[in-house]
Amino acid sequence: MHPSDTALNDFIDGTLGAAERLEVEQHLAGCAVCRQTVDDLREILRAIGEAEPLDAPVRAWSRLERAIRMEREDVAVPGSHGIASRERQGDGGGRQRGSRQALSPWVPWLAAAAALVLAVAIGMRYVPARHVDVAETGAPAAAGEAALSVETELRQAEAHYENAIKGLEAIANSEQSELDPRTAATLQKNLAVIDQAISESRAAVRAQPASEPAQQSLIDGFKTKIGLLQDTVALINEMRKGNEAGAARIASGLKQKGT
Amino acid sequence: MTVDLVARIQSGDVDAFETLYRQHSARIYTLASRMAGSAEDGEDLLQEIFLQAYRKVGSFKGDSALGTWLYRLALNHCLDFVRSRQAKMNKLTETLDAETSIEPTARRETPIARLDLERAVERLPEGCREAFVLHDVEGFDHKEVADLLGIAEGTSKSQVFKARLKLRGFLRGK
Amino acid sequence: MRLTAPFVIAGLAVVAAPAVAQDNEPRVVVRDVVHTARAGAYQGRNNGPEQTERFSRKVKIGRDGRFTLSNISGDIVVTAGGGDEVSIDAIKRTRGDKGELGRVQILIDDRAGRVDVRTEHEQNRTDRNRGDHVSVDYTVTVPASVSVDVHSVSGAVKVTGVHGSLRAETVSGDVTINDAPRLEAAKTVSGDVSLTGVTADGDLSAASVSGNVRAKGLKARGLDLGSVSGDISVTDVTCERLGVKTVSGGVEYAGGIAKGGRYEINAHSGTVRLQLTNPAGFELTANSFSGSIRSELPLTIGGDAGRQRDSGSRGRRDSMNNHAMRATFGDGSATLVVRTFSGDIIITKR
Repeated sequence: MHPSDTALNDFIDGTLGAAERLEVEQHLAGCAVCRQTVDDLREILRAIGEAEPLDAPVRAWSRLERAIRMEREDVAVPGSHGIASRERQGDGGGRQRGSRQALSPWVPWLAAAAALVLAVAIGMRYVPARHVDVAETGAPAAAGEAALSVETELRQAEAHYENAIKGLEAIANSEQSELDPRTAATLQKNLAVIDQAISESRAAVRAQPASEPAQQSLIDGFKTKIGLLQDTVALINEMRKGNEAGAARIASGLKQKGT
Repeated sequence: MTVDLVARIQSGDVDAFETLYRQHSARIYTLASRMAGSAEDGEDLLQEIFLQAYRKVGSFKGDSALGTWLYRLALNHCLDFVRSRQAKMNKLTETLDAETSIEPTARRETPIARLDLERAVERLPEGCREAFVLHDVEGFDHKEVADLLGIAEGTSKSQVFKARLKLRGFLRGK
Repeated sequence: MRLTAPFVIAGLAVVAAPAVAQDNEPRVVVRDVVHTARAGAYQGRNNGPEQTERFSRKVKIGRDGRFTLSNISGDIVVTAGGGDEVSIDAIKRTRGDKGELGRVQILIDDRAGRVDVRTEHEQNRTDRNRGDHVSVDYTVTVPASVSVDVHSVSGAVKVTGVHGSLRAETVSGDVTINDAPRLEAAKTVSGDVSLTGVTADGDLSAASVSGNVRAKGLKARGLDLGSVSGDISVTDVTCERLGVKTVSGGVEYAGGIAKGGRYEINAHSGTVRLQLTNPAGFELTANSFSGSIRSELPLTIGGDAGRQRDSGSRGRRDSMNNHAMRATFGDGSATLVVRTFSGDIIITKR
């Protein structure tokens, strides 16, 4: 009569009473199967306890840094307790690029857009794999539910991504004159490349809703599009700051001369 | 050095913040990936956590180490994520528990390969995975796990035990 | 902000366009200028002989200093040297009127441990199509340990031997980086990025939008390369973690696989070609929605892989079909994940 799984686990954790522990020890002395179980579990716990943390992907810092730089533009946000308000309180040294320039009203959109996109990415992570797992265990009712659920979740994810995209597009389109025509054209062309990819992925998902590569490629497409739009907005902002810096110098130069 | 780092971060020094990131990103990424059940989700959570840390560092009072403060922020964030996803997934959790086809990840005997282990943890079903990570990896006791996950202490224990056995199944083909 | 009326500012000292180096004041130099008319009046002459004006300055910086250069039109070349000063040589060029050169200023801001250089065009860029047609090419030497951040808009950027942290960006132009162990970002929009000859113990990141990205003969801990419509090529690179992403471009990876490394390649419609030289053991997960997958490397299909989220072959006993492959090579310690939508995945021996 083997000890229960619970008893073996308690044994490993040292939470059995003395009498029960003795029982298990005696059983283990004569049972290779249970000994193997205990050894395996101990090995798993040892391995997970000793495992060094895995490094985050290389791109993680670049994305984060971009989001932070966007936040830093946002010195006009009222009531913020973070870095931005401290900057305004006068950090003294270090002239930050753009932090003392007059910023146009849409700049707060940048931080909002960055935050929105990240929130979207987190909140709308649907889990197609597990749904498909359910289908495979052969419970038909659950499978039907699962398929429906995937559809719904995917549509919700799409909607959220598309909102983020629209917000960024609005900024990019309204301020595109900051960019020279060739660059603007290159960016538009590449956004079209991404849109093409998105529409191919979408068609694939419609044709084969359970296909993980199809779903994955659709989500990848949205993220890539958002990334490019964010970069476009950041670029526009840089150009604008440069323009304003130049204009401010000219204006201050003129003022000094009393004209 | 840390005191200086905190001061620099609070005054907006992005390089200093990057130092903090470099010091802690691996630990937090690993925690987030395991709690969320996938490296991709872990990466997104990592972003959110550090962005939140950046915004909130102004309110860090220095009554604990910066790393501890960051860890707590990360843990809370992971728990929020797990809870909100749990709410969506409730209907399906029970069916998942009945999963019978388990393909083993490795047939080798000890030692367990690091990546096999991570993958096996990722494959654990919701519920028992978080309990396992919090108890067996992060070192919280069952009472603490129960508080963090909003479950009963007995449930924490049974979920952790279930996770261990499933891991064994994945890794040993038994 | 445009100055819409032509005007003359009387009473200013007229500063002649200097043919010699500017004065040596260490503070920000804001030049007084003479506006004689709107730029429009001078637009007729853009294809005359090239007029140039040289600028040269040396500024002390200190070994741990930080150097930034922000240019608009024109190339930037930064090379590492010895000493403790930054040496800046610039050539202003125009095919228009020589007077236009004076309206482009090189501003140098120098404080403790920092030197910031900036090109400023007074005819600002809202008037882009009728701008001053002046470009400034910079050649800079910095102490090798200085950290560098250079930026052009329309122009190439080339940096060699900078060992401090480095960011090099342009919008329209190529970025070429050589021997930069602490490269943080090398980016362009329409232009190619090329990284060579560096041994870095951190992460390197390079991206273009419509151009190609190439990493060759280098060693880094982590490498992150991306483009939208350009190709990515990685040749003879040693890294623990690799992330490659393109949408319509192709990917070529020619080199080894390091033990325990993690390699992720993602393309939408381009072909992904892996030419592996004596790879350490790896576990491969290759997925495509409609592209085909072939390998001439001897792989054990299925193997120790187990199921992963991103498998395209859920529930099938054989882990190989035309669009999905999970296979192990050697001890399977490294992880290789290749995903495309419609592009083919081809794995060969090198």
